[in-house]
Amino acid sequence: MPSFFNSWLPFIYLYGVGGLFFLLGIILIRKSGAIDMKKKRHRYWYKVIIFGFFYFALLHAILIIAAIYW
Amino acid sequence: METGGNLQTTFHSIGSSTDWIVMVIYFIAIMLFGSYFGKYNRSTKDFFFGGRRFAWWLIAFSIVATGVGSHSFVKYSAKGFEHGFSSTMTYINDWFFIPFFLFGWLPIIVYTKIRSIPEYFEKRFSPSARFLATILLLFYMVGYIGIGFLTLGKAVIPMLPESFTLFGSTIPITLMGAVVVIAIITGIYITFGGQTAVIFTDLLQGFILLFAGFFLFFLGISYIGGFDVFWNLLPTEWKMPLAHFNDPSSFNFVGIFWQDGVAGSIGFLFMNMGLIMRFMATKSVNEGRKAAAFNILFMLPLSAIVVGNAGWVGKAISVSSPDVVPPNASPDQIFVVVANIVATPGVFGFIMAALTAALMSTVDTLINATAAIYINDVYRPLRKFFKRSNEVKTSKDDKRELNAARYASAVITTLGVLAVLAFKNFPTVYEAHGYFHSTLTPPLVVAIFLGLFWKKFSPAAVISTFVAGVALMIVGLHDPTVISPFDHGIEMNENHPYSYIRALYNTFVCLAIAVLVTLTTNKQKELASRLRKSTNGIRITYALTGASIVIFALVLFDITPVELQIVLILVMTGIVAVITTYFVKYDQEKHIEGLTVWSVNKAKEMFKGSKLNDEEGEVIKLNWKVKDHKEDTAHFSKSDMKRMKANVGDLVYLCDARKILGGLKSVHTVFGEPHDETGLVYINNESLLNGQFVEGKLLSAEKEM
Repeated sequence: MPSFFNSWLPFIYLYGVGGLFFLLGIILIRKSGAIDMKKKRHRYWYKVIIFGFFYFALLHAILIIAAIYW
Repeated sequence: METGGNLQTTFHSIGSSTDWIVMVIYFIAIMLFGSYFGKYNRSTKDFFFGGRRFAWWLIAFSIVATGVGSHSFVKYSAKGFEHGFSSTMTYINDWFFIPFFLFGWLPIIVYTKIRSIPEYFEKRFSPSARFLATILLLFYMVGYIGIGFLTLGKAVIPMLPESFTLFGSTIPITLMGAVVVIAIITGIYITFGGQTAVIFTDLLQGFILLFAGFFLFFLGISYIGGFDVFWNLLPTEWKMPLAHFNDPSSFNFVGIFWQDGVAGSIGFLFMNMGLIMRFMATKSVNEGRKAAAFNILFMLPLSAIVVGNAGWVGKAISVSSPDVVPPNASPDQIFVVVANIVATPGVFGFIMAALTAALMSTVDTLINATAAIYINDVYRPLRKFFKRSNEVKTSKDDKRELNAARYASAVITTLGVLAVLAFKNFPTVYEAHGYFHSTLTPPLVVAIFLGLFWKKFSPAAVISTFVAGVALMIVGLHDPTVISPFDHGIEMNENHPYSYIRALYNTFVCLAIAVLVTLTTNKQKELASRLRKSTNGIRITYALTGASIVIFALVLFDITPVELQIVLILVMTGIVAVITTYFVKYDQEKHIEGLTVWSVNKAKEMFKGSKLNDEEGEVIKLNWKVKDHKEDTAHFSKSDMKRMKANVGDLVYLCDARKILGGLKSVHTVFGEPHDETGLVYINNESLLNGQFVEGKLLSAEKEM
C-alpha cells in the first residue's frame, strides 16, 4: 500500500492549491463582468469551466483508487 | 548496446534500412503537404497568424502536434519508465487557469489586435516595459527551441551509428552534430511555409501522432501478453497518477506542480506565442475558447497516454525480461528502444517519423512565433525609430517584412541550436525543461497576470518586477539555500539544485516586488515630483540609474555576500520604481482601457470600431458575385441581413460553406448597404483574393459583432 505522501496528499494539494487559483479566476471573471451571465453563450461556458474542474478531480481520484485497490 | 560511465545502458544503430526509407518518404510527404498551403500567405498577417479564419476543430487538432511535440515522447517516456503513470500529471493539471485564459487573456489579445506579447506591454504600460518584455520573451522562446532541438537530437541518436567513415576518416556522430543537421531541415521548411502551412501540417500530424501513439501502446501490450499481465507487472507506486509528494528531487509532485502546473501552464497558455498564434488564427474568440477547452479536456489526457506509454511498456518489459530492456536503460532512449522491440521494420520507421516530425512541428511553430516577435518588437520599432517606415504600409513594405521574417527564422534557428549547449548536461530532457520553465517564466507570468487583472499595476511595478525580480532570481541561482524556505521538504540536489520548486521561489519574489511597488505608487509619484522640481533632478536620476546598473552587475557576477545582495536589490527596487515614474508618462485611465479584464467589452468595441451589436442571428448560406468596389464591404439583401440580425457597419465572417475546409477559404469583412437580391452577396476583388473562394460553391455568412 503506497504511503499517504504517494497517494492522497498530492491529490489534496493539487485540487486544494490549484482550486484556490481556479476559484480566484472564477471570482475575477465574474466580478469584472468579463463573463456576462445574462448571455446564453457565457452561461454555457461557465458550466463548462466548472465541469472541467470536477472532471479532472474525478479522473485523478478514479486513477488513484484503481492503482491502490485494483 | 553499451554501458556508459553513468551506468546507464545506451543504444546505437537501432532500426533497419526499411525504417529509414519510410522516414524519408514521410518527411517528403509532410513537407510537400505543408508547402501547398504556403499560397495562402499574402501578407505578414497571413504568414504569422493564418489570417484569423479557422474553425475550432482544425486548431484543436493542430495543437495536438504542438503540445505533444513540445511535451515530447522522449521526456515523458523517460519519466514513465522511471516513475510510471505519474508521467501523465503535467498533461492533466492545466485547467486551473482556464477561467483566466478563456475570459481574460484570449479576448484581450484578439480584440486589441495585438501581434505579440511585448506589444501588449507597450499598450498597457510603456515602450520601456515592451523593450524588457521582448528581451525576456526572446530568451524564453529561444530556450524553448533549444529544448526542442535537444529532444530531437536525443530521439534520433539511438537510430544512428556511433560514427561513420568519409574519405577514409572516421567521424563520430555527436548529439550536437545531429542537432545541427536537424536544425537545417527544420529551418528550410518553416522559412517557406508560414503559419497556414504549419497549422495544416500539424493538423495532419496530430491525427498521425494519436494513431501512432495508441498503435504503439497496443503493440506493447500485445508483446507483454495482454493488459492484465501488463497491469500486474507494474509495482503499485508505478500506477499512481501523481508522483510522490516531495521525493526524489529529480521527480516529485509538489515541485512539478509549481514548475509545470503553475509556471508551465500559465507560460504555455499565456506566454507561448506559438500556441497563442494558433488561438488567434481561429475565426472568433468563441472558436478559440472551444479549441482551448476541447484541447485541455480531451486531447491532453489522450496525449498523456500517447507520449508516456512506451515508458510504461518499457518498465513492464524490464520487470519480465531484463535481458531485453535492462532496468538501467537510458531513460531518454526508452521510447526508441521500446518502439523498436514491439514494432516490425517499417512500422518502427513510421512511428519514429511521426515522433520526429511532431517535434519538428513544435520547433517550427516556435521559430515562426519568435520571428513574429522579432518583426513586431524589434524590426518595426527600429525602422520607426530610424524613420524608414511610412505611416501607410505599402505592399513593398510587406514584402520586405516577409523577407526579414524569413531571415529572422534562420537566425533564430541558429540561436536555438546554441541554446542546446545550456541544457545538454541535464540527466534527462524532462529535468532540463523543468529547470528552464522554472527560471524563465515567472517574471513574465507575474507581469502578464497582474497587468491583466489589477488595474493599479503600474509601469514602475512591471519594470521593477523585470529588473529586481530577475535580480532576486539570480540570487537563487547563485545560492540555492535562499530557496530552501519554499522547498516543501524536497532534498537539494547539489548538481541541479531545486530544478522544479525554484519556480515557487521565483514566482514569489517577482510577485512580492510587483505588489510592493504597486502599493507604494503614491510615494513614488511624490519622490518623482520632487525630482522634477529640483534643478539637479535629471542629474540625480542619471546617477540613480547608474547605481541600479552597478547593483545589478554586483548580483549578476555574485560579487558580494548574499545578505548584502538582497538588501541592495531592495534599494534598487525603490530606485527603479522612482526613476520609471520620473521618466514614463502614464495615464492609468487611458492605459487600462480595453487592456484589462475589467474592460473586455470596451476592447470588443474598439476592435469593431463602433457600437456592439450582440443580438444572436442566424448563420446563412448563399451565392456570391464579385462587384468592383473599393470599400472593404460585403453587400447582402435586406432579408438576409434581417435573418442575421445585422446592421450596416457590423462585422461579418464569410467562408466556403464546405465544413471540411475548416475556414481555410474565408474572409472577414463589413456589412455594406443592402440590396434586394435574397440569397446573394456581393464581395470585392480583395475579399475574393483573401478568401480564395471557388466559383459555384456556396458561402456561409455569420455576423460577428
